[in-house]
Amino acid sequence: MLETRGLRVVGDRVLVDGVDLAVAAGETVGLVGESGSGKSLTARALVGLLPRGLRAEGSVEVGGAQIVGAAERLLRGVRGRRISLLMQDPFTMLNPLRTAGAHIAETLPGRTSRQEIARRLAEVGIDDPAVAGRHPFQLSGGMRQRVALAAALAGDPDLLVADEPTTALDATTQHEILALLRRVQEARGMGVLLITHDLRVAFAVCDRVAVMYAGRVVEQGPGAELAAAPAHPYTSGLLGALPSVERAMERLVGIPGAVPRADEVAGVCAFATRCDRVTAACTAARPPLRPIGRDRLTACVHDTAGPAGTARPPLPETALPTAPPVLRTAPPVLRTAPPAVCPAGPAGDEPLLRVEGLRKRYGAHTALGGVSLHVNPGETVGLVGESGSGKTTLARSVLGLLTPDGGRIRLTGLDVTDRAALGPRERARVHRLVQCVFQDPSTSLNPAMTVGAALAEATARAAPGDRIGVAELLELVGLPAAYAARRPKALSGGERQRVAIARALAVRPALLICDEPVASLDVSVQAHVLELLRGIGRDLGTGMLFITHDLAVVRQVAARTVVLLKGAVVEEGTTSAVLDAPAHDYTRRLVAAVR
Amino acid sequence: MSVMPGAVRLGGRARRLRRTRPGPVTLLSGGILALMAAAALFGTWVAPYDPAAQDLALGATTPGWAHWAGTDELGRDVLSRCLAGARSALLWPLVVALGTCAMSTSLGLLAGYRRGWIDAVMMRVVDLLIAMPGLLMLIVLVGVLGGGIGWAVLAMAVLFTPGDIRVVRSLTMAQRELAYAEAARTLGLGRARIMFRHLLPNIAPTVVAGALLSFVAALVALSGLSFLGIGLPAGTPDWGLMIEENRGLLDLNPWAAVVPAALVTIAATAATLLGDQLFERLSDA
Repeated sequence: MLETRGLRVVGDRVLVDGVDLAVAAGETVGLVGESGSGKSLTARALVGLLPRGLRAEGSVEVGGAQIVGAAERLLRGVRGRRISLLMQDPFTMLNPLRTAGAHIAETLPGRTSRQEIARRLAEVGIDDPAVAGRHPFQLSGGMRQRVALAAALAGDPDLLVADEPTTALDATTQHEILALLRRVQEARGMGVLLITHDLRVAFAVCDRVAVMYAGRVVEQGPGAELAAAPAHPYTSGLLGALPSVERAMERLVGIPGAVPRADEVAGVCAFATRCDRVTAACTAARPPLRPIGRDRLTACVHDTAGPAGTARPPLPETALPTAPPVLRTAPPVLRTAPPAVCPAGPAGDEPLLRVEGLRKRYGAHTALGGVSLHVNPGETVGLVGESGSGKTTLARSVLGLLTPDGGRIRLTGLDVTDRAALGPRERARVHRLVQCVFQDPSTSLNPAMTVGAALAEATARAAPGDRIGVAELLELVGLPAAYAARRPKALSGGERQRVAIARALAVRPALLICDEPVASLDVSVQAHVLELLRGIGRDLGTGMLFITHDLAVVRQVAARTVVLLKGAVVEEGTTSAVLDAPAHDYTRRLVAAVR
Repeated sequence: MSVMPGAVRLGGRARRLRRTRPGPVTLLSGGILALMAAAALFGTWVAPYDPAAQDLALGATTPGWAHWAGTDELGRDVLSRCLAGARSALLWPLVVALGTCAMSTSLGLLAGYRRGWIDAVMMRVVDLLIAMPGLLMLIVLVGVLGGGIGWAVLAMAVLFTPGDIRVVRSLTMAQRELAYAEAARTLGLGRARIMFRHLLPNIAPTVVAGALLSFVAALVALSGLSFLGIGLPAGTPDWGLMIEENRGLLDLNPWAAVVPAALVTIAATAATLLGDQLFERLSDA
């Protein structure tokens, strides 16, 4: 139904370099890759919608029609009818000025009737026909994605290309949409190409999975087999970096280095620079995708997937320049100063952070409806909740970025509920007590300042006796000292997040608030950053309030977990108790969604 | 998004080239403005004649070897007067642009960063100023105040500032919500430091482009005022005044009015284009 042969996407340089894919009717194929792997460009090339300045080469056949180089007139006949595209962002994908029904009616073949639109909505699990008359802003994210799916299916396509359809959604909604996609696909006997960065999603939903790296497919096979015995070192590296939701892992192992550009590795194995099994054969020529057993292909020259293949092939310790060793050996200056970690104050039973009955309203919306929690010195507490649960509002209240309507926040006994009421000396102390790592690495550093200037500014805020040099801070987070001269633009997402962590640690805070610090990072990078944060909690004794929507992440970092739903704490306990034996119905649904 | 933004918007090579080497538009508009600035600084020295020297016997003549752009009614050399006139034609708009930029940037940053009552009060004043018919106010105001160029420049800066305050304020409001600004607040940095060291560099491209646009608007408006006889005293070599003085000579020596008018147009166009280019290059860096 869909067949690509040697698909390349070329702009000034090669971005996608030779993708061979096939999707049969009634089959779900996953295309997995990290950012920069070229998976989204591949998706766009399939429907002939590449951004300006890029062109496709090779062959893409959809139901016998050639897409590459086809005239726009022909493509219009193919799009929607034979191949349809479902995109990531349910907020921008629908036209805000048109109703849900209008989006569907637009691509319905023949005459459109109210009944037909209602039937199409029912197909995607919307039983209320009134939804057809609503505008996108009146619908939740999950509903929008359902409407978008109905619109994508309206032309009865043979093949649906879904580009990260669940990435912007909450875990429980994500689960529902994936199940829906599967159901619709089976009912219609349609082919689905699911593009995702999430290995778990791909393995759970797809019949076959292709792993993309640096613009090419490096491995292909049935999802379950790939998960059990990966035949390419990149796939096994990704699997090793994936935090487990079932158990706390001793060590999270990311892949060292960064993804190369497709044009720089055209003639060699793309993974060679980051692989610990590299031999002369790897760089002599580009390894072709070769069959290894039934339905399986790999682009690795070695026989990696033995019969006793493990999910986590042990990568030798020596080949891993990860952060933790640095943490253990490096800045003694940081470790030999316990007073900074537990500042003098009314000690005794007083926890590091105590939040009592915190309330905040925005108009009619209650963001926080009386939340209480505490963090002990040196303890990491996970705060889990979906978007709109109030977790970020809580973080911002503790940071003093907003003033709550009611309740109390105390840091080491000091009442910091209303920052404006504090004296200058107390205020300076609070800034040294609590710091934050924010979610989005693209905005967390000032683009106009070098890394060194940003860190120097932060260290200048530390107590005079506790100042740490910029080079030491960089070393602490596993970055070379030369990075001080760089601007954020020259750093990758993971590196930026490391700098943000260094900036937060510069004043040697007793409490570090991490607001989804790894949510925007790729799996392999996420493992590095999580390991770094765990090391900081362990070796520096920094207490952490770790906000996340990802249960696997909370399992790895937090000793205790608090579950937040609609501005209220619904469950609290040790992480293993909360995740293994959830008491509240909502927690049970959350856990079920990722299992 | 997994598509590399740089790669899709513009290829890597094209980006690098644009960053290192200014394009033809930048070179041309920058060159023209540099030449005019040189005329403003040294025009009186290189001018072939004294711009004020009259030759009533000669009167208005068309361009020739002695007078490249001809002479005006009083026999004054048009080329020399244009060279000398660059000074007042460019200096006063520059003063307006710098004044507007300084006021709008600091007030806009303050309103956008502090919000609350400071913002509310400032925005109502801005609304009031924007609601006034600008040029008309200017003419009346300067007329009442005695018609000096100083008053014209001040009034113009006050009239231009409100619009720019709004722009700076809205950009500041967007920047202050970003994680780096919140991190700076979490570190307990002072307001002035956050405003000027963190937020300002990130809105600088728009501020610079805005300053050049103010320059253009002031250049044209001041020429217009000179034409109306407001601002500079009659007889001063100035492009706007020359247009006014020589518009009666269109049949004797049209160049006497056309050359200064063309200079105003060229200067304004060059500054606008340069502003565009600077904005792109600064936001790209």
